[in-house]
Amino acid sequence: MNSRTVRAWTRYAIAVALLGVVLSPALWLVLMSFRPNSDIMATTLAFRPTLHNYAEAWTGEFRASFEHSLSASLASTLFALLIGVPAAYVLARWRFRGQHQVAMWILVTRMAPPIAFTIPFFLAYTSLGLMDTVAGLAVIYVTFNLALVIWTMKGFFDAVPRSLEEAAWIDGAGVWGAFARVALPLAAPGLAATGILCFILSWNDFFFALILTRTEAMTAPVAIVNFMQYAGFEWGKIAAGGVSVMLPVLIFTVLVRRYLVSGLTAGGVKE
Amino acid sequence: MATEPRLDLTAVAKTGSRGAANRAEARGWAREQRRALRWGLAPALSVLALVTLAPAVWLIVTSLTPLTPTEPGSFDFSEPWQNYQQAFTSPEFVRSVWVQIELSFVTIVLQLLLGLGIALLLDKPSKLLDTVRTGFLVPMVLPPIVVAIIWKVIYTPAISPLHRLAVFLGVPFHSLIGNADTAIWAIAAADTWEWFPFTMLMALAALQMVPKEPQEAARIDGAGPVQLFWHVRLPYIRGTLVVAALFRLIDSIKAFPLIYLLTDGGPGGATQVTNYYAFVQTFNFAYWGYGSAIAMLLVAGVFLFSLLISRAGGGMALDE
Repeated sequence: MNSRTVRAWTRYAIAVALLGVVLSPALWLVLMSFRPNSDIMATTLAFRPTLHNYAEAWTGEFRASFEHSLSASLASTLFALLIGVPAAYVLARWRFRGQHQVAMWILVTRMAPPIAFTIPFFLAYTSLGLMDTVAGLAVIYVTFNLALVIWTMKGFFDAVPRSLEEAAWIDGAGVWGAFARVALPLAAPGLAATGILCFILSWNDFFFALILTRTEAMTAPVAIVNFMQYAGFEWGKIAAGGVSVMLPVLIFTVLVRRYLVSGLTAGGVKE
Repeated sequence: MATEPRLDLTAVAKTGSRGAANRAEARGWAREQRRALRWGLAPALSVLALVTLAPAVWLIVTSLTPLTPTEPGSFDFSEPWQNYQQAFTSPEFVRSVWVQIELSFVTIVLQLLLGLGIALLLDKPSKLLDTVRTGFLVPMVLPPIVVAIIWKVIYTPAISPLHRLAVFLGVPFHSLIGNADTAIWAIAAADTWEWFPFTMLMALAALQMVPKEPQEAARIDGAGPVQLFWHVRLPYIRGTLVVAALFRLIDSIKAFPLIYLLTDGGPGGATQVTNYYAFVQTFNFAYWGYGSAIAMLLVAGVFLFSLLISRAGGGMALDE
């Protein structure tokens, strides 16, 4: 082996070892979730894995909280896509006065601290009867999802060559006809990635759900924390709940890893 | 994008058409385009106004009152600035700002160093390294509350593998989150773990944009890896690192689940950042007016940093 190959393999070895170290805290939680309750405190790696903790965690209330998370995230994602995608298309294709201000507005929305939204929403929901409802949660998720959709989809539409739509116009298609037949299909991968990003952000929310829900619309992240308060720290159950909540996110992340940077820096990076 | 010529709304329809009928058609097409533009934008902007501008206005209004649900007459504007005065004279608020500055500074520096270091390690075209890179993204995409649970396990002596290891090695230590001197460092470590993938991704993207020629030239001139990094690659990626740091700064102001689950702002306020202080004042003590004022100050800070980002963003390497 020459010195170049040795250097390359050293690099691989360090990278893999470092990854192992970095991921070990998360892997520990996964291990814990399969540990029998009798040796939950133990640190040995040899134990007989059990699904007991999952059975304990997945009782009626936790299952319901999972459904609330799912419905609120899906509803918010679909709504944000429905109204955000046409807006992104318009922003990508036409210049108009105030465009810069609109862009800045969207950026600040992405940046604003959640507490700033939560106080007015809390007061409004209390009087509107939206407190502790999945609909109320879906609405507040629109505050960050809509900004994300507009900004990332604008990037994807920018990448679609304009001449294709112009050809469709000349063939007699209207503005939205050309959008639906030409631009949207070409931006479809971006649309999927954006939708998944919205879903992940909503699914991961803890703060809004903590404040705006009680029991009827409690989401999965809040339900796990409740395991801590009422169950007197049943660690196995907590670990099983945590793993259940992170699993969908991990699967989706593999699908959208290429778009993560542009999604998370939406609005801050001019492309 | 910025250099693209403004699209003339009638350009397409005008092409090759001279007659009056065609001109009328062109005007009709321009009208249709303008209408389409409005219909595409209007729903999104009105919803955005409803869910962001309306709450913002309402937040300003409540921040000028001593509003609290237990006192019926508390929605009054006789002393509009009292919340702000109270904030700046409150030792607890001032301390929360310092805790915030400390936490933000420490985590951003650590995340930049760790993120950049790992980015340099992974910056070689290779299938294996690509897979490893995806693995490094895990902490960032996990639900923040799961991250908090992971670190709660690490920091709870009774079940912590870290504490077991320390006992095994003969260097046991007390709970890090239970001690006012170490709690902030424990939070900083967890936060660094959660967010270094972000700086890593940004650094990697920037490193891949560094042109090859200057690097080759420097290598031929005998530059070692350290000199190559310091004099050739770093100048190219500096802009991106600044933007990454600003993003982390803004997000660090919003840190919540880690503090909520690990320390609850304690011990004795040692980890109570301003965001958490606002949360406690508003939702634990029901000082809605005062909490609104603190939230307004946070928004003002975030707005300022966002302006900086949009300025710095233009100078990024990604721009080319």
